[in-house]
Amino acid sequence: MWREPAQRISERALSLWRVYGAIQAGVTLLVSIAVGAAVFFWGWPEWLLAIAAGIILLELILSVWLIPELRWKRWRYEVTEQDIELQHGIFIIQRTLVPMVRVQHVDTEQGPLLRKYRLSTISISTAATVHKIPALDEQEAEELRRSISSLARVAEDDV
Amino acid sequence: MYEPKRLHPVSAVINFVKGLKDSALPIIALIFLNGNIFSGEVEWMPLLITVGFLLLVLGGGVIRWLRFTYRVEQGELRIEHGLILRKKRYIPFHRIQSLDFSEGIFHRPFNLVKVSIETAGSSDLQKAEAELTAIKREDADELETIISREKNKRTIEEDGIEEDRVISSREKVYEMKMKDIVVMAITSGGAGVVLSGVGVFASQLTEVLPLGTIYSEFLAWLRIGVLVVAFAAFVILLIAYGISILLTIFRYANFSVFLDADDLVITRGWLEKKQMTIPLNRIQGLRIDENLIRQPLGYASVTLVSAGGAVQQGAEHQLRLLPLIKKKEIEQVLHQMISDYELDVEWNRPPSRSKRRYILRHSWFAWLAVIPLSIFLFPYGLLAILAALAFTGIGFLAYKDAGWNLSDQQLTLKSRFINKQTFVMKRKRIQSAAVTQTILQKRVDLESIRVTLKSGVGGAVARCLYLDKQDTRQMMDWYRPNDKVEKRSDL
Repeated sequence: MWREPAQRISERALSLWRVYGAIQAGVTLLVSIAVGAAVFFWGWPEWLLAIAAGIILLELILSVWLIPELRWKRWRYEVTEQDIELQHGIFIIQRTLVPMVRVQHVDTEQGPLLRKYRLSTISISTAATVHKIPALDEQEAEELRRSISSLARVAEDDV
Repeated sequence: MYEPKRLHPVSAVINFVKGLKDSALPIIALIFLNGNIFSGEVEWMPLLITVGFLLLVLGGGVIRWLRFTYRVEQGELRIEHGLILRKKRYIPFHRIQSLDFSEGIFHRPFNLVKVSIETAGSSDLQKAEAELTAIKREDADELETIISREKNKRTIEEDGIEEDRVISSREKVYEMKMKDIVVMAITSGGAGVVLSGVGVFASQLTEVLPLGTIYSEFLAWLRIGVLVVAFAAFVILLIAYGISILLTIFRYANFSVFLDADDLVITRGWLEKKQMTIPLNRIQGLRIDENLIRQPLGYASVTLVSAGGAVQQGAEHQLRLLPLIKKKEIEQVLHQMISDYELDVEWNRPPSRSKRRYILRHSWFAWLAVIPLSIFLFPYGLLAILAALAFTGIGFLAYKDAGWNLSDQQLTLKSRFINKQTFVMKRKRIQSAAVTQTILQKRVDLESIRVTLKSGVGGAVARCLYLDKQDTRQMMDWYRPNDKVEKRSDL
């Protein structure tokens, strides 16, 4: 019973997360340009530029390259008739088990970037918790949503 | 009870007072604007505005009372109210989870109660589904009987059993001793709450005052007497502590628990009497708390984790089933109320290799802080070492107090962050379970478990850290639904 959950999330998630990382680095770049201007016009100390460059480099390595890769490798899920199992986390690996009878409702959501990559995020709600599987293939998510909601029959008096 | 009824006229007064409380700030501001009222030079505009404002609040209270009616019709409680917009709210009886009664100082002289109606799906987080501000005690009792009769009729119809159930067979199952209430007041964290209130007040004061001038005077003052400051602080502390003790005693006086058919009924309070009803089938689990002061004295408190409608925030509203009780008495008292929770279990412990992890988790920040504190605030900074030692001690206690037990249908987890908490949970009430493991713990096969119960609108999380992988897996396998059709009958 204790193997990893079988399904991986879509490989396009990788590109999506890289784009997110790049956006983040872009914001830092804008800030650094502002700092650069300050150095140029008001004579702020120049080592600030070095720090800014360092941060951008670090961000490119971490949030564009390493983190998306590790995150994607770790993300696994499996939906059976009786339960939903999730595994995620880079440094702290979390494995979650949600029995099907506890599921109250399932939603899918899709932002503009996700739509561009034909991905969508599915969130599974119990009476007390919400569990998300990010960046699933659009159609897969849709099928999953349908199958979970047909499998989930909540025993009402338990809530 | 079928004709529309009004609330008792006192509720107009209560509305007024509540309105005043809500609009206290603008009124105070107006009074301050009108600063010279006592020196004869009255500025008429602000005064008029104040008076007008008060009249508006008063009028609002009266009109709200006039427009509020409730009646019982076709198995529903029907409430109509609203100042300008007429609002109607019909609540079917079978959706009503519980009626909570409370009596404030306005209620007592007229033998009135405030009734809060709790349903399963209140959308508002902090309010009950509906509230009857003040009605006669007899009316409230009648309402309760009608509702429970209708509800029972319904369940009997559903079960197909022709059997008249005895309604309101109230049986007292627990009464808190005065001695316990006093001990609770003395050992409660309430003192801290009052103190932080004083602190907030003081911090706001410093913003208003001209700090620069005060600072130089303060230095002079400091030379005269650190003692004076210390003494003043001590007195404030003592007063705050006293107030918190008195408040707790007033709040929890006459605390008793009744078993009424399928409900637990908790009543308490001196000046303001409160009655809460918790249907037994809404109970999701139990939490037993022991804080650092109470644990050595052998005391603990028991809180219900309940899926009740409204989330009641604040310690005052928590569903304290047994606010303070000798730990060895819990089992016996609880057995009369909810018999299927097993408390006296054999504990499994985390392995010895997780001891240093517990200690590190609780004390690393303290030891880290010791270095700069000792260097920059020498020699007083060295005192930080004592604090760090204390945190190390708590870490060790956390290791000692962690544990778990698994039985057929029940999971029990105990852990300590600062206070020791024990969660008693039934398998069918657990909403989700997760194990976590950092990559460092992977090498030594340690895992932590976290289990979520439904509590109010949100969840209550029970956890136990750094257990052997075998153990957490055993718990997860126990939780994993494994037979094709879960036995619905035992739910």
